[in-house]
Amino acid sequence: MAEQQAPVVMMEEIVSLEYTTLATDVGIRFMDCLIEGRIIGHKSKQSGLVYVPPKGYCLMTGSPTTADDEVEVSDHGVVTGFTIIEPIQYPGQEETERYVQAQVLLDGASSALGLCRIQDIPFEEVRAGLRVKAVWRPPEDRQQTIVDSWGGRAISSCIQHWVPSGEPDADPASIAKNMY
Amino acid sequence: MADILDLPRDVAIVAFSQVPSVAQETRTEAQMLVESINGVLEQSGIDRREIGFTVSGSCDYLTGATFTFVQMLEATAAWPPISESHVEADGAWAFYEGWVRLLHGDIDSVLVYASGKSSLGNQQEVMSLWLDPYYLETLGVDMFSYAGLQAQAVLNAGKGKESEWAEIAGRSRRDALSNPNAQVRGEVDPAELLREDYLRGPLRPHACPPVSDSAAAMLITTAEKAAKLGVEPVYVRGIDHRADPHYFGVRDLSVSESARIAGEKAAAKAGFGPGDVDVAELAAMYPHEEQILVDALGLGDGVRLNPSGGALAANPVMVTGLLRIGEAYNAIRSGSARRALAHAQSGPCLQQNLVCLLEGGNG
Repeated sequence: MAEQQAPVVMMEEIVSLEYTTLATDVGIRFMDCLIEGRIIGHKSKQSGLVYVPPKGYCLMTGSPTTADDEVEVSDHGVVTGFTIIEPIQYPGQEETERYVQAQVLLDGASSALGLCRIQDIPFEEVRAGLRVKAVWRPPEDRQQTIVDSWGGRAISSCIQHWVPSGEPDADPASIAKNMY
Repeated sequence: MADILDLPRDVAIVAFSQVPSVAQETRTEAQMLVESINGVLEQSGIDRREIGFTVSGSCDYLTGATFTFVQMLEATAAWPPISESHVEADGAWAFYEGWVRLLHGDIDSVLVYASGKSSLGNQQEVMSLWLDPYYLETLGVDMFSYAGLQAQAVLNAGKGKESEWAEIAGRSRRDALSNPNAQVRGEVDPAELLREDYLRGPLRPHACPPVSDSAAAMLITTAEKAAKLGVEPVYVRGIDHRADPHYFGVRDLSVSESARIAGEKAAAKAGFGPGDVDVAELAAMYPHEEQILVDALGLGDGVRLNPSGGALAANPVMVTGLLRIGEAYNAIRSGSARRALAHAQSGPCLQQNLVCLLEGGNG
């Protein structure tokens, strides 16, 4: 007889799942243009709204959009909302210092980009309405990456961060009636 | 005494649209849904702003992200704001919720949709963690192992044979030849299929479903609204769903009590039973599941099984059940059936079963 052992009452089981997402046609096109230093969107024929990044459809009318609807937008825009983040430390956390992430509505776009890091301005001066411009990474440093729904990861692989452009603040009315 | 279960109004399916099931789709689920939803809007002629309620089925586990149904809602163009709901289940259960919602009596139309891309992750691992992360996943029981255990129970009970499973797989692939939306199709010799090695004994690859990506949408309305839209209605005469215990060690896997009861309850509402239909679309992912369901529902020789090819020909998890309802609707609309049964399942080894009985407008 084997030695008597206490019954197992609890065990630890580490689980993980891996997923592979294929890039969409519109996502690949958006990424390729970013690597060239251009930001593109799709302009819906039905609503006139410009989606950046393009999704292949218009959220307001449900109509598909295609390469025919492609437009280029500016790399200057306006902060429409922001968060000052105090990074707490956990496994995988790469941030150690306070930083700002903002939603930026680019000139010519109707939908705001998420996760735009704002620099070269004191935290207390960051505000909705602040005009900003992109600081692009050098072409050799721009990386192909995943194009998520809000474009944040693709943008940050080609644009290092955003800084005040020195232009006067935007009129709040000018940023109303867009997609956030 | 009045029967409170008497349905106060007739509910009908008036439009159905799916994107073809494929092994790996590059479009997002929202993009596939734009096509599906626009398809039912075009077929029915309804203005999307007239739709009283929207309900969808999908699963974050398949997509590998949280609250993914919110992004898929973009496909509905939800402006002005809409009234909507979501089930973390096959779209057939979203259909059930839409049916209940119509019986409330205050709205006349419901948009139902479902999407799923099983190709994104390892479906075997995803299903294992999803179905039982506590006891069975830790033992390494994957999705095909679950099915293998049930298949063995069917063999042991003398209710099925491996040669019959090859016949069923062959029939499914042959029927799929005439279904442009199916994924696995072709003329195959069942004897040839039996030469395959076991994948999980006693199941060979031909007796297991493919990995599929797809999306589908459906419009259901009151009879009055269908008449206003000028579209031919297919009536939902009875629908019910039941569940067996979740842990499959406590039940006889060679039978499905929940499918039997769901069939009886649906028949009581419909006034006709599963044996009275011309076509049955069963969400049987394996041939032995089809045999269990045929027994449980009492489907006789006169019932044509899965003319679409069924889940063996395309199995987009979360959409498979809604596709069965859609294909049963198509069978009636095309005139190949007057009455049809659609079945959906969820959980391990046919744990939950939904049975829907449909009848054409002249029925």
